[in-house]
Formats: sequence, C-alpha cells, structure tokens
Amino acid sequence: MDAARTDKAAKTSVAITVELFGTARITCGQHEVALELPASTSLSALASSLANACPALIGNAIVNDMSGLMKSYTLNLNGTAFVSDAPEKHIELQDGDRLLLFSSQAGG
Amino acid sequence: MNKTADDNLFGYNGKMLIVDLSARTSHWQTIPDDVLKKFIGGTGLGAYLLWKFCPPGIDALEPANPLIFVTSPLVGSRLTTSSKFAVVTKSPLTGLIGDSLSSSFMATELKKTGCDALVIIGKSASPCLLSIDDGQVEFLAADDLLGKTTSETEDAVKQRMGHRTRVACIGPAGENLVRFASITNDGGRQAARTGPGAVMGSKNLKAIAIKGTHAVSVHDAEALNIIGDDLTHRSLGPATEKYRTLGTMANLSVFNRLGTLPTRNFQQSTFEEGEAVTGEAMHQAHFVKNAHCANCTIGCEKILVTTDDGKKVQGRMEYESAFALGPLVGIADSNTVIRASKLCDELGLDTISTGATLAWAMECFQKGLLDNFRDDESHEASLSFGDGDALLKGIGLIAERQGIGDLLAEGSMRAARKIGGGSEAWAMQVKGLEMPGYEPRSLKTMALGLAVSTRGACHNRSSAYEADFSDRVNRLEADDQRGRITAEGEDFSAVLDSLIWCKFLRKAFTDLYEESAEIFEKITGWPCSADDLRIAGERINNLKKLFNIREGWTRDEDTLPERVFTEKLPTGMVAGVGLEREDLHMMVQGYYRARGWSEDGMIPEEKLRELGLAELSETVHPVS
Repeated sequence: MDAARTDKAAKTSVAITVELFGTARITCGQHEVALELPASTSLSALASSLANACPALIGNAIVNDMSGLMKSYTLNLNGTAFVSDAPEKHIELQDGDRLLLFSSQAGG
Repeated sequence: MNKTADDNLFGYNGKMLIVDLSARTSHWQTIPDDVLKKFIGGTGLGAYLLWKFCPPGIDALEPANPLIFVTSPLVGSRLTTSSKFAVVTKSPLTGLIGDSLSSSFMATELKKTGCDALVIIGKSASPCLLSIDDGQVEFLAADDLLGKTTSETEDAVKQRMGHRTRVACIGPAGENLVRFASITNDGGRQAARTGPGAVMGSKNLKAIAIKGTHAVSVHDAEALNIIGDDLTHRSLGPATEKYRTLGTMANLSVFNRLGTLPTRNFQQSTFEEGEAVTGEAMHQAHFVKNAHCANCTIGCEKILVTTDDGKKVQGRMEYESAFALGPLVGIADSNTVIRASKLCDELGLDTISTGATLAWAMECFQKGLLDNFRDDESHEASLSFGDGDALLKGIGLIAERQGIGDLLAEGSMRAARKIGGGSEAWAMQVKGLEMPGYEPRSLKTMALGLAVSTRGACHNRSSAYEADFSDRVNRLEADDQRGRITAEGEDFSAVLDSLIWCKFLRKAFTDLYEESAEIFEKITGWPCSADDLRIAGERINNLKKLFNIREGWTRDEDTLPERVFTEKLPTGMVAGVGLEREDLHMMVQGYYRARGWSEDGMIPEEKLRELGLAELSETVHPVS
C-alpha cells in the first residue's frame, strides 16, 4: 500500500464488531462490542478503544495500560487471519469486519 | 547431592515389574540405563516395552498382548503437572500402537512400589484383582466386582484393601470387551483413547490395587525446588488462563464460530443450537467447582452438575466429551451432555469414540441403514440426531453389548464394514480410532496430523491444530510445509508425553527442550541437552511407526474418511471449503520427507541407525 493510500485509510473510519469469547464474554456480559475505528489502526489503538467500550476487559483480556492484549488472548480477523500481537503494527480494516477475541491457548 | 537411591539411580527405579496373569507369577527385570536415556518414560518407554513384549501379529485381545503402565522420571518430583502415567498396549481399535495418558496419584503410587513400568501379560482364569503392595504381588478373586461401575469398583476395592490404596479398574464396558473401553483410576481419571480397557477386560483383570512406600530420590533436590517454584509461578500466569477459567470447554464457542466444530457426524462444522453447550453457557448454568489432577497447580477440570428436574448428576466436563456427546450427536441440551459424559465414565467408555460411533449409527438411521432399537425394557427408540434419550440408552447398550450395542461396541470402522451400504464413508475414524473435535476440512494442518498419527485420529500426539490457530499458516489452504510443522509437533509432543508434562503447561515454557533438559539433569544426574531431547522425540515417533509397520501398517492408512474429500462444508464462515485428496496426499508426502522416510512412508535403515533403532529394526517382519 502506498503512503497516500495509507494516509487516506488512516483518516477513514470504519464500523467493525469485536466478538467476545471465553471469560471476556462472561466478564462483559455481552457477546460482541461495536466499535468505530480508523481503517488503518494499530493493535494498541484497537485495544484502547475496546477497553473504553468495555472496561471490564481491562486486566482480563486487555493489559492495564490499555496498550494491547494480554498474552492469554488473541484476535482473529473474520475467522481467517490472525492479528499480529505487535502493538504498533497496523491492521487494515473495512466496514463490517468482525474481529474475534478468544484465548491464545489453542486446543485441549 | 541428596539421598542415594537403589543402585545409585535418581529419578528412576531402574526396573519393571512383570506380571503373568496366566501363570499367576511375577518377577522384576532391570531396565538398562541406556534404554531410560533413549526413551525417557511415559509413552516413549512404553513404546519400547511394547516392542519388546508384544509378539508380532497377535490380536490385541489375545492374552499375549502386554498391558503396560509406565511412569516417568518426573513422577514423584512434585513438579507441577508431573503426576502422570501412560498406558501402552496394542490397540483393539486400530491393531496398531495404542497409548493413553492419565493424571492421578496412581502414577506416584505406582512409582513408589519400586518400578518404572508394570507389564501385565497373560489372562487370568477367573476374574482377578491384582494387588501390588510395595512390590509384593497378589492375585485376588474379583467375582464380586463383576458388573460394577468404575466408581463402585474403586469404592469396593478401597473397602477391601484400605483407603490409601490407589485403584485402576474397568467398568462393564471393559468386561464386555468394548473396543473403546477405558481404564479408570483414582476417582474417575481416565486412560481411554485406543481402548486399553478392552485389553484389561480380555485378561479377566477387573482392577489393580496399588500401594507403595519407596521414596523417589532426585539428584539435586535443592536446584529442582527452585526450578519447580518458578514453574509453578508460571503455571498460574497467562499461558494457562483458559484452562484455569473455563477449561478446555472454552473451545466450543470458538470452534463453532470458526467452523471447526464437528456436528451431526461431521455433516456440518457449525452447530446452530450450540449456544447452550458452549463453555461459557455451561459454566454459568452448571459450574460447581474447579478440580486439579494430582500435583497440578493449573486446575483445568470443571465439575458441573445437572440443573433440570431429573436425577442430579455431577461430573467432570471437558471439550472433547462435550463435543462428542453434544454437537457431534446433535444434542443441544447441556443436562443431557453432562449425564452422557458421566455415564461413559461410570461404564468405562472413551467419550470421543462413544459419541462418534453413535453419531455414525445416527447417520445410518437417518439414511435408512439401521432400524430402531429396543432398550432393556423393550421400549423402541430411534437413533435420531438430537435425541437425548436415544443417546443415553445407546451408551448403556454399548457398554453391555446388548442389541445394537453389540455392533457399536466394535467401533465405527468395524461396524461400518459389517453394515456396508456406503457407511464406511461416514465412519469418521482414522486407522480405526474415532476422530476428535477438530474439523479437518477447515484445519488443514490438523487434517495432516490426524491422517498420519500412529495411534489413529488423534489430536494430542501432534497438536497440529496449534499452527492452524496461529498466524503461521492459512488454516483453510494446504501447502507442503505442513509436513515439517506436523513432524515437529509430534516430536515436541513425544517429549511432553514421555517426561511426562501436561500439555496444558507447554506454553509456560520459554524453551521446552532447554528447560526440560536441565530438569532431567537435576532429577537423574545424567547429562542431557536440548538436542538430546529433540532427538529422543524423533526416536520415539520412529519407534511407534516401526511398531505399526511390523504390525502391517500400509501407506493407504495415512488418510482421512471419504466424507472429508467428497463433501464440502455446508455452513458458517467456511461454507464451501473442502479438502482435495491431492492436497492431503501432497501434505502426507511432505510429512514423510520431513521425517526422512521413503515416499511410501517406510523408514530407511539409515534413519534407524541415526536414531539408535537399528538393532530393533532387524526384527521387523511386517505382518500382512
């Protein structure tokens, strides 16, 4: 993506949904959270928005300073791609995207 | 250096107890140090002993099939999650290597009798309770135990032998040689996959009572305590959060959303009624308390209780049981799932194979291949998906081998061969072992792991799903790198299962091999490096494969059920996703290359020499 497109994407807001699983769902008492975010957003900004929308996630799925996810959680975009846990790395989002927040401990 | 053990061994007893039920004799045999170093313990040492004690080509239910209980160097160390043992035998389901793990005080007690392994051969002339008290063996009558459930049996044995006794036993299913019968131990713990309970039943062995007092010595207890404290601390951190909170039951809602939850005998990979049986919902509706395995700080076990008007039932619940007795058979009633799981435990049945075999039967019924069945009170019942009464009755009939239960007790592969009508295509098993709760079409690395596993469709011996649930691969597409990933996962798992660590601790290690090598050194006093363990993992997997080759394994068996190739997934976000036969073939060939095997999956002599298995291979004569 060239710089101009990235800049444009960063300024464009998109409506997305974060679906909650596991203790995140129980703690928040809801299955999903609607968010409006820049189309190009960092994990850190996403975590911060999510924490503001659902404070019960702080210390549960989101670290206390709201800068990222706790290591026990992972994010998956639309059921296919896993989102990098690097807080500064940007995620390219589109209207209607669904992020799934669930345990990073697979299987069992 | 701490207390010196017998023969200057630390961490091991250095010997095994061999019991012949036919002759009613027992004797001790030394296990050479180099064998312990090469195969470690657990499933690794068990595979070696199976190779040594199992005559080639025998039927799994013949008296000569050894039933082997194996501890490990970690047992008795008090390190978190280390009280585990392996049961290894030739599987009556697969005719290949069968190994199963269980966590309980049975492991520590067995080691305290003075042995690293208990090898049981022969067949008792009458129902037997085998007592091992500090190495003293007695063959006691067990006629009064016949027909009892697993908890009734354990209670009766403890009444007779003392409450400090640890008990391993079979339920009615094992007595009736149900091919997927479990061995229950220490208050309801299970060694279930691949059907070791049927082998125990074939030996007329209803229960084993164990007591021991031998202290287990370690080479450097002080250093081990420091390492152990740190590991305990890590076991309570983010690496185990899921297991400590909802347990493995947390998988169900995620798998359902991702389209990886096998439903109605793998006809779908999403369950539209699944909400009620998710971990989140069951936790809120049924949770009683957490429970821990012996010496475990994680506490993944969730004790649930029924909440409807029926008879109250309380028992353990984990993902595989919930999936197999819920979505796989179309059941959305959480109370029924709890009842079915508890019933399997009491009758001594592997929950996965039970659910999967009943799911196969339900599809046969759906397609007109099987008739309604009658229960023990001659009530006619259907085998429809979603019918809770049919599920519970079916479980009972299987354990007793009554009516249709006699067919289903053979497992889905044999039942399908008998019924025919194309039902082999939806007998969801690999090499005879029914598939766990991971849809292979939407988890391509797992598809390979299930296809090539030496014990049949197994999720635990490769943990190949881990790659699919990460950013390492695209889970919906196959590629030729999955072979390397799967082989590495198998070797990693072999080390976990031989030392033996609980798999739920694996993410608490920064480097499993480095840290485990140091722990192995502190326990045994023997030098050990990360590479030593890595090679041991590879060696153990090659030995398992070598055993299977000896017993007649062929390349055609490293595959998946026909349905996987011919039907695309119909629902959810993975609708339209399938698995091409050519793609699986490509991944299997990649796996053989990663292993250094031939194109037909055979192990070259050079590889056997490299792994120190050449001596064993000289006796390989594949059984047709």
